[in-house]
Amino acid sequence: MSCGLIPGSDSRFYLYTNPILPTRRSMTHLPKTSFLIENQVGSFRTKTAINDGFGFVTETPFRLLKTSFLNENRGGSFRTNAAINDGFVTAIPEMSFYELLGISQGGTSSEIKQAYKQLARKYHPDVSPPDRTEENTRRFILIQEAYETLSDPRTRALYDRDLSKGLHLAFSARKQCQFEEGPEERGKWKTHWESQLTELGRRSMDKDSRRNMSWGARMRRQRNQSSAE
Amino acid sequence: MAEPAYTVVSDSETTGEDKPLSAFPEIAIGIDIGTSQCSVAVWNGSQVELLKNTRNQKRMRSYVTFKDEIPSGGVTDRLANEQEIFSGSAIFNMKRLIGRVDTDPVVHACKTLPFLVQPLDIGVRPLIASLVNNVWRATTPEEVLAVFLVELRAMAEIQLKRTIRNVVLTVPVSFSRFQLTRIERACAMAGLHVLRLMPEPTAVALLYAQQQQQTVHENMGSGSEKIALIFNMGAGYCDVAITATAGGVSQIKALSGSAIGGEDILQNLMHHLLPNLDSLFSNHGMNEIKSMGLLRIATQDAIHKLSAQTSVSIDFDLGNGSKICRTLDRTEFEELNRKVFEKCEGLILQCLHDAKVDVEDVNDVVLVGGCSNIPKVRNLVMGMCKREDSYLEMNPLEAAVCGAALEGAVASGISDPLGSLDLLTIQATPLSLGIRADGNSFVPIIPRNATMPARKDLCFTTAHDNQREALIVVYEGEGKKVEENHLLGYFKITGIPPALKGTPEISVCMDIDASNVLRVLAGVTFPGTQHPVTPFMEVRMPTVDDGHGWCAEALLKMYGSILDISTLQKKLQL
Repeated sequence: MSCGLIPGSDSRFYLYTNPILPTRRSMTHLPKTSFLIENQVGSFRTKTAINDGFGFVTETPFRLLKTSFLNENRGGSFRTNAAINDGFVTAIPEMSFYELLGISQGGTSSEIKQAYKQLARKYHPDVSPPDRTEENTRRFILIQEAYETLSDPRTRALYDRDLSKGLHLAFSARKQCQFEEGPEERGKWKTHWESQLTELGRRSMDKDSRRNMSWGARMRRQRNQSSAE
Repeated sequence: MAEPAYTVVSDSETTGEDKPLSAFPEIAIGIDIGTSQCSVAVWNGSQVELLKNTRNQKRMRSYVTFKDEIPSGGVTDRLANEQEIFSGSAIFNMKRLIGRVDTDPVVHACKTLPFLVQPLDIGVRPLIASLVNNVWRATTPEEVLAVFLVELRAMAEIQLKRTIRNVVLTVPVSFSRFQLTRIERACAMAGLHVLRLMPEPTAVALLYAQQQQQTVHENMGSGSEKIALIFNMGAGYCDVAITATAGGVSQIKALSGSAIGGEDILQNLMHHLLPNLDSLFSNHGMNEIKSMGLLRIATQDAIHKLSAQTSVSIDFDLGNGSKICRTLDRTEFEELNRKVFEKCEGLILQCLHDAKVDVEDVNDVVLVGGCSNIPKVRNLVMGMCKREDSYLEMNPLEAAVCGAALEGAVASGISDPLGSLDLLTIQATPLSLGIRADGNSFVPIIPRNATMPARKDLCFTTAHDNQREALIVVYEGEGKKVEENHLLGYFKITGIPPALKGTPEISVCMDIDASNVLRVLAGVTFPGTQHPVTPFMEVRMPTVDDGHGWCAEALLKMYGSILDISTLQKKLQL
């Protein structure tokens, strides 16, 4: 199964989405891989190339479901839930977070936000047709992870670094653990990441930034780094 | 016993296991059950409309009177006289009592209510009772709420001329999952099916999102993202939410909340006016109940007046020969409730921190709930948000129910030709979810304010050599130690291959779907592979039904630490 499409470049299909939110009944699945979404809000028109990142799924929904069950070793025990994490990630190995959101690597934070909200309107289970809820839930969780990683300059810098090394598949910046950080540290946060950002280029792994990732994310990173060496 | 005023529908109807999503042609109504007042609203095809009772009230007092054999609630009850409500026969503040055990400080604070709240301090549900013909007749918060909901339902059915089955209810942010099941239970008793339980400020956020979207359409403005801080303080609870809104999508960035509200302010002032209040009312005699009611009315009145004037004179007879006669000024009132206001500040700070939003980036500050009228509350919120004016486009007492009605319409699959229902709320989990590990520590797996739906996993390992079984004890909350959190449930995984401690891999995965159903999946995998040793376990939470604290103690007594697990320090290479 291949999905080596580069978003925002070739093979784009023009698709007009009107501002009406797809409801459960009106939502039809979209057969192509890359769309140019014309977003019309009032008189303000923006054109954003959005690769929904899952085009291949809509083309072969049943095959994917089957593959994800087969690829997913735990699948048997997870049964109906079919292991959202691993099953799905293994099914789309080439997707970077940028590709998931359908933006370029130089995308601005407002582009990230906009792409995220567009995709949320499409894949959030609340607006999914009932027969696709489970599948779209998985997509939404991946989109969410991509959005959370890229919308935080700290984790985005880490992710970009991994991406340049070809390690992006390993990267899984889960929602940051907020338990260690007290509110009093909040003020320092902004200046903190700015200084960290420059440091990160030099240091291979910054201790402070690691602390803010979940334990699982750190372990996965570590594991994949050592296996890459 | 008389016929119960509610009908019990089967439990399976409320579990949401198999949601027939397309089988809801009717529009779900929105209900805001407040600690002190309730309201019902519905999407009427073009806008949200609040329903009125026979006395033309849009907001109804939340109480149920058990006078004769048939209880009657604040929806239809002709009682206008507060003295009668506070005479022992009426039960109110259900929202503060529901799903709480008798060791909870919130339950203890309810002891001065003019009906019977009897905590035995052993970690079970407290006894509550109303005075019927000079006898304390026991009931439960669920039953009281169900009676009230039956009335609300009947009122809505008469006005809308159709049967009402589906509802969207607003709930406090700080409600535990166990408390949510109690609300669902009360709804089931009233023959209502809960489509969604919405944290109150997220309902307000949805209304805000709709208003913003309409403004964009009307003004041809840019559809850029707007950030709103929503502060909602009612009689029982204080909640804060930060939402990022664009194009009808309301993304909840963070939530914080606490069981603190007008009731605490009232209690503080009552204790101030009558320092020996607790001992005076401890025997719950008829005369004491009457005095308690009178004190409550006079104190409420003083608080209301202090919102408009800087000092108030309190002068009333307790009915037992003693009189309270004094003036109270606003400064004294604010000093008395300093802790309440500090708590509010803490909730705002925490919410801003969790949302990673600077106050300068907040576009609108939305103040809702009854306590938003209190000058000190208003000043502290506006002061912290560094601005002069709050958002004025919504009625502070109706915002939550309007949001619930919007969600009800959206969740029922209704669309509006004008686009008023092109809305989506991306919810967040208000409390962290995790398990007991590393001794008595609470190890979160899904952190608070994680976007829903969510699915996260963590690896654990055994705490002892050759340990063959492990207990997975699931908690919800923010405490570092398990006992500071709410117990949701527990189960045992078996078949761990004999090995040195720290080597087997126990994978625990938590999954919350968009309807906020939590499932915990756990099992053992062979080190270095993803192959499960035995079938994984999948358990829907919460599984505990009562006496939560006891179960954890019983587990400890039975198993000690032999089934303990630890966080896995070193994951083996694949």
